[in-house]
Amino acid sequence: MSTYMTIRRAWDKVFTILSGGSVVILGILLVIVLVPMLGKGCSAVFFRETIEFRKMEFAELGRGDEQKLKEEVAQVTEARKPIYDLINNFSEGIDTERQRNRAREMYRLYGEQLRLKNTPSEQYSEYRGRAKDLRNLLQDAYEAIDAETAKSFLQKVLEKRNDPIFQDTAISEYFHMAERYMRTVETIDLSKRDQYAIALNEVQEALKKLLGPRPSEDLPPLAENRYGATRWDLMQRDLDHLMYATVWVEEEPGQPLVKKKIPRTDPSQFGGTELKPLFGTVKNNLDAIFRPQRRFYWQYFIDGSTPGHFFGGVGPEVLGTLLLSICAMLFAVPLGIISAAYLVECGGNNFVMKVIRTCINTLAGVPSIVFGLFGLAFFVLVVFGKPCILAASLTLGLLVLPVVIRASEEAIRAVPRTYKEASLALGAGRFRTFVMVILPAAMPGILTGIILSVSRAAGETAPILFTGAVFFGNVPKSLMGQTPALSYGIHGIATGDRVGMQMPHQQFGMVMTLVLLVLCLNMAAIILRARISKKLRGY
Amino acid sequence: MKQPDISPNVSVAKDTSLQAVVEFSRPLLLTPGQDLAGYIGSRVGRALIFLITCVSVLAVLLIFYFIIREAVPFVTLESVKTSLARISEFLTSKNWFPEHEEHPEFGALTIIVGSIYVTVVALILAVPFGVLSAIFLSDIAPFTVREIVKPVIELLAAIPSVAYGFFAIVVVAPWLQNKFGFTTGANALNAAMILALMAVPTIISVAEDSLSAIGREIREASYGLGATRTETMLKVVIPAAHSGIIASIILGMMRAIGETMVVWMAAGMAAQVPSPWWDLSQSVRPITATIAQEMGETPQGTPHYYSLFALGVLLLIFTFGLNMVSEHFMSRVKHKGGSA
Repeated sequence: MSTYMTIRRAWDKVFTILSGGSVVILGILLVIVLVPMLGKGCSAVFFRETIEFRKMEFAELGRGDEQKLKEEVAQVTEARKPIYDLINNFSEGIDTERQRNRAREMYRLYGEQLRLKNTPSEQYSEYRGRAKDLRNLLQDAYEAIDAETAKSFLQKVLEKRNDPIFQDTAISEYFHMAERYMRTVETIDLSKRDQYAIALNEVQEALKKLLGPRPSEDLPPLAENRYGATRWDLMQRDLDHLMYATVWVEEEPGQPLVKKKIPRTDPSQFGGTELKPLFGTVKNNLDAIFRPQRRFYWQYFIDGSTPGHFFGGVGPEVLGTLLLSICAMLFAVPLGIISAAYLVECGGNNFVMKVIRTCINTLAGVPSIVFGLFGLAFFVLVVFGKPCILAASLTLGLLVLPVVIRASEEAIRAVPRTYKEASLALGAGRFRTFVMVILPAAMPGILTGIILSVSRAAGETAPILFTGAVFFGNVPKSLMGQTPALSYGIHGIATGDRVGMQMPHQQFGMVMTLVLLVLCLNMAAIILRARISKKLRGY
Repeated sequence: MKQPDISPNVSVAKDTSLQAVVEFSRPLLLTPGQDLAGYIGSRVGRALIFLITCVSVLAVLLIFYFIIREAVPFVTLESVKTSLARISEFLTSKNWFPEHEEHPEFGALTIIVGSIYVTVVALILAVPFGVLSAIFLSDIAPFTVREIVKPVIELLAAIPSVAYGFFAIVVVAPWLQNKFGFTTGANALNAAMILALMAVPTIISVAEDSLSAIGREIREASYGLGATRTETMLKVVIPAAHSGIIASIILGMMRAIGETMVVWMAAGMAAQVPSPWWDLSQSVRPITATIAQEMGETPQGTPHYYSLFALGVLLLIFTFGLNMVSEHFMSRVKHKGGSA
């Protein structure tokens, strides 16, 4: 008997723990869901900005101190100059195609110079012939694939250095080129020149990402290419691409290749070449190159953004979401309160009331995507003829109507009978009683329901997919245009191909904005309700 | 009792003041015209309010009418025979190639199965959690704990579905892929887990209401007979509240089957029936996600467009049926509450 009791007690304990545990797990899940969204989302607002961010902010959003920015840009350009010099120097030895073109260009220039000086024709052809020899030698040197041959060609070019006929002409550039190439030949293995060219290309791409286009280049047409790393965290990531090469190595024969990161200063990369100091220079001068600063970018919530949400904030999305929700509530709240009033004050238990209640319940159960289809088939195609804010918000309004009705009904029912009876006894009519006595008393409860409905409407995506939301754009001037919205934007930015990968903080920032909006509304509703129930308990 | 002695002056003054109070600003009797106007006014007002209330009814009718109207061209072809063939293809074929140029195929079986599959898995995950939590809230937790837990569960319900979808695709999918070595993190398991999380609050709130509706007396009787709390819950309270719990599960199911964004983002969108059937790591393609994905790219008036509305009709019928069943159970809860 006692063992039976023990088992019963133990089972009782286990059951209690299980049910308590399930609630605890739900709480933990809520934390697990919210923490990454809010935590990582915060990085859209709190971060370390670089000079590139200030440049972007000034150019795209028109904010910032122009004078100060100019000074800073000048200092940064100064700090970045050694990097570009190193690259230029090195690329002269690697990019032989360009060098040969340059040699040809100089040769042509020389011909023009001679013609300008009115050189006699025999002299002209003689000089041209000698210059051509020189050019061919230089080109041979560039084409050579082993160091000795190249050196011998270069020697021959350099022997002509003091030839008076080439002094102060375009051809004198040949000697500079030859000297520089000589140095390159001494430091790199010419047979691996193609590999160097590819690797150099990678480095230049990485640098472009890190520092933006060079000051001498034209501004790229896409805003996303106009600036380097705008944030310290993005800078770290891009720096990694600059400092390390990713190669696929076969570690064991017959096995799949393994991805490996090799420092660019490794002998297999740029070790021992003239480019090697570049990586140290960049790494040691990060502060001078980027001038990072802590930033509280609260304007994230009101700023517009560049196409694809690359830079900037979620201002249009927030506005669009608010606009959609408010229009939906303007439709749903009056209808909802009047319906609730009818259900409570005039409703009996007859067939009509049953039908109405069933319809309200059905409306509450219709899936949101079906509301979207209905909005498309009715509001867009029949009523307005095109997708627009009005169509989307009417669809949302229908979606939240049952929520408003139920909340209002509950709030009106919770008003004590005595209020109504006192008012009727004082001679007020039923209408006056409802408007002057019952409605004010029920108002906090109704307000709670309205706040929850707003949060529901703000978070819904499916009903606005086909009825009036766009992924990117500005809030239109009239209600007949389409608007961006947070919920739809999140879907676009999460499933879109590039932006999400490149700008995770933008993704999380947008989600954080929506979740914060919804959470604040819900908190307000919860607090309001707690105050009502406190008041009710006071009776 | 002797009246107190008061001077005549004061009494006169009192009399006049009394008269002033009793004087009415309007006559008490209404004229017949006023009476009629008031009557008509109240009738008309009532009718007006009734009409406004009927907007919900109208909305339901319009939804059914317009969704079905757009779906009808999908099944009405030249002859009865081809129409029937189209319907049977729609419900039994596994080939969903609506954009094929010569022979578009509209076999929605994989899509319907995908919806049911994800929903059932979600419910298997959600129901134990939901019911246990409801029991905890109604019978075990002290008042203060309940005051804290309820808002937490409401927050769980308040997080927008697109945020859940984002969480599924950005956090859960890579985790599944790395931890369990699935070929893709966007699969049935991922979608079902998130759907379960979304259905749990619905289940908890309805189940807790129905558990609370079972009166104290029935619990006290059970305790009085020497039963432990667990025995009381499992053998007395839950059987008594079963209709409410069933209704809560059905409402949770409606929430899961009608959910769009999560399944669109997390289920992987592969039109296939998982084989073997228990393999949760495969991608599926539920009805809602199919509509959401394809409606945006489909020209209006094509068979593909109509077929998506036909999927919408299926969904509508399904949720309508579930709603009727849940209402049946909910009405039993209310009756019981009334009689007790």
